This record gives sequence, structure tokens and C-alpha cells, in this order.
Amino acid sequence: MKNVRPSCFAVLVLGVVATVIPVPAHHGTGVSYDASHPVTMKGVVTEFHYANPHPQLYFDVTDDKGTVVHWGGEFYPNPSQLIQGGWGKRRSEAALPVGMHITITVAPSRAGTPVGAILKLLNDQGEVVMGVAGGNPGAPPEPAPPTSEQKQPEQK
Amino acid sequence: MIKNSLTGLSMLLAGYLLYSSSVFAQGGGPPILAANPKNANLAYDKHDISGIWSRNGTPSGYGGGGTCRDCGDRGFGNDVPPMTPLGQKMFDANKPSYGRLLGSTDAAAHPEEAIGRRRAVPPANGSDPYQTCNPMGPSRALIYPDPLEMNVLPNKILQQFEWGYGVRAIWTDGRQLPKDPDQPRWWGYSVGKWDGDTFVVETTGVDERTWVDHFGYPHSTQMHLEERYRRTAYDVLELNMSITDPAIYTSVWKSQTKKFRKLAVDGIKTIDGWAGLMEDLCAPADDVEIFNKRIRDPAGGVTR
Repeated sequence: MKNVRPSCFAVLVLGVVATVIPVPAHHGTGVSYDASHPVTMKGVVTEFHYANPHPQLYFDVTDDKGTVVHWGGEFYPNPSQLIQGGWGKRRSEAALPVGMHITITVAPSRAGTPVGAILKLLNDQGEVVMGVAGGNPGAPPEPAPPTSEQKQPEQK
Repeated sequence: MIKNSLTGLSMLLAGYLLYSSSVFAQGGGPPILAANPKNANLAYDKHDISGIWSRNGTPSGYGGGGTCRDCGDRGFGNDVPPMTPLGQKMFDANKPSYGRLLGSTDAAAHPEEAIGRRRAVPPANGSDPYQTCNPMGPSRALIYPDPLEMNVLPNKILQQFEWGYGVRAIWTDGRQLPKDPDQPRWWGYSVGKWDGDTFVVETTGVDERTWVDHFGYPHSTQMHLEERYRRTAYDVLELNMSITDPAIYTSVWKSQTKKFRKLAVDGIKTIDGWAGLMEDLCAPADDVEIFNKRIRDPAGGVTR
């Protein structure tokens, strides 16, 4: 019991914090999304654009009845932020090929459309892609270790 | 034990809420100050304002996000003078997407803030000219938390802004501002000179399609914008602005003090190590045709 009550309170804390955390966005799109009700889905990549103002990922999600919904997601970090975590254009595009199976968590649009701001993204190996690991959406992406094919740029 | 834990967590929550509201007011920046203590004893020339400066609060100083903690926020200033009827009409027509969400409990909880900061709508439902790649204009570009480079030439200073990759000329060759320019400009007409240790810039003729700041405050083409820059430390450039625009505001509007951090020459690099400002262009084909149509608009429930 002693362990439970603080944990419950911690959940409450996190819940309250989640509802008050502002969702900063480089391009002012933060107010379009509801970060307090994140949604996690499994999908398949159909398109990826590494561009300003925010990179965009398009993916299909199939529900239990076999209905395919075409989703669009924007990354909060723009390319200038992503490169600070080692996610340049070539590496990012190589990490998100068409057909890649992903697990993605988004802050869904307040309008209820299949569009969201990407909070967390895992590839088919369960690895974090683009440094988007569920942290503060306004923070720079987390660096990821380079793969053998993708050399990490030298950091000064 | 439990009581202590709960008290601790309560304090943590209270602290976090205070911090998060502070961060929100500051534009979402982490707690980085403009001045780096490591540079406190470095010599500098108060009349040298060249180089790359940034209000960005991330360690690297670029790439979006919020402002450094003591650098001011995304607004021109919270002490907005009463507007004229024309000013109010223009203000009401502008629908910004920065600030607290219109009609939210968050917005209602901050009556102390000017209304401009409590009326954000999704960009798809807004009218922010920046969303369609129009230039931001001088005051808003200076407030934007991405770097700018001051290129000091014999007859002018070119301010190059990373976001939008725009260039603004501040003439220092002694010319006078045009009194009533035939054609307004996105960046206006600017002249600058030293007044002691303060570099003073005067601007007029700014196209009224630009906003004063991110919160949709309007201005007329007769706006007189004054910028006063002071280098107060090796790595800090301080800016105070004021707007005189009797067609829109009933008195002079003084800005919140803004601070810029000095970034190292090689502080900004591409993935290949190419140093210098990022080419953070807002390209209409990408921004309007792709991002807005496929992400921004449906996110706001709008189909065009």
C-alpha cells in the first residue's frame, strides 16, 4: 500500500502534467493537436518527406475489420533540429522506406482527422527512429547510435 | 513516509507547473541563459555587433523550439497600448496560431496576459501570413527564436535570418528615411547609427501584411519602428524596440527586452560539417502545396 499510493499520485501528477504541457511547434501547428490523448498504432510507411517546415510521414493503418486508414504525421523537429541528433536526410530516408512496418504514437488532431504530431516512432525492430522517443515534442531529437551503413557525422 | 512522499510529489508538481507555465511564456525553451558563465571574462568591443546571434534556448542555439530563459518570449510585449478602431479591426481579423488555445481552460487561467496571447487557433483555421511563406517583417523576424547573422559592411548592416533565409538591409551611409515611401516593403526601409554604445535602427514603410509579432498584432505602413541594440557582454546582445503607429495604437508600444546569445562561427553545421546559417527556407511548393494541404489543413479539419 505504501508503494501504491505514491505511485497512484505519480500517475495523477503525470496525467495533470500531460494536460498542461504546451505543445510547442516550430511552425505554430502545435495547437492543432491534443497531446493529452496520445494514440499508438501499428502501420506501414507509404511516403516520407524530409522537408521544412516539418518532415512528414504518411502511413497506412489497418483496423480489425481490414479497413485501411491513410494517416499523415508531422515530426515536431524540423531538419535543422534533426541533424543535431545525427538524423540527416539520407539517414532518415533510409530508415523509413516505403513498406516499413512501424509502431507510432501521435498526438491526434483536435479535428478528429487521421493526422497527428509524431511523439514516438519505432521501426520493425523496435528501434527508435529519427530520435523521436516520446520526449518533450519541443526538444531536439535524441541522438541514436550509428549503424554500420550510416556513419555518424563528427561532433565537435 | 507516505505523507512526505506526497508532499514531495506535490511540491514537484507545483514546481513543474510553475516551470511549465514559465516555459510556455518563454516560448517552450529549456533553462539556458543568454550569457554563458565561461565567457564572463572575455573581452569584447561594444561597437562590434557582427556575427551570428540567436534567441534560441537549445544548447546549439538553432533549429526551432523556444527562447533562452532571459531572452524574452515570442511576443513584442505584454503592455499593449489601447488600439484605435482601425487597429482593433485589423487585430480582430488576424487569427494567430501561437499562444494559448482560444477558448481553452489554459487561456482562461491567464487573464493577466494580453488577449493576443490567448486566442490561438489551428493554423488551418488561422490567417498567419507566415503559414504561407510570406516574409515575417522586421520586428517579428527579430523575435523569432532562430539565429540571425549580422553582416557589417562599410555602408550597411545586412541582417540575415535563418528561418526563411531572409535578408534585411540597415543602411548606415547617412541617408534619411523616406517620409512617405511610394511602395511599402516586406522588410521596410531602415537606417542605423551609433548613439554612444547603442546601435539605433529606425524603420518605416513596412508592408502592413506583416504582423508585429507571432500573436497577430497589426501595424500600418506608417509604423515607425525603433530598435536599440546594446552589446552588454561578450556573448549577449540586448534589444529594446518601440513602435509608434498612431493609426493603430493610441500611444507608443515599448517591447519587452529581448536578448540574443552569440553563437560560435562554426556553431551551426550541416550533417556534413558545413558551417554557417542553415538554409531554412520556407519554400511555397513544399510548405503550401505539400505540408499545408496534407498535414496542416486536415489537422484543423479543413479540406481545400
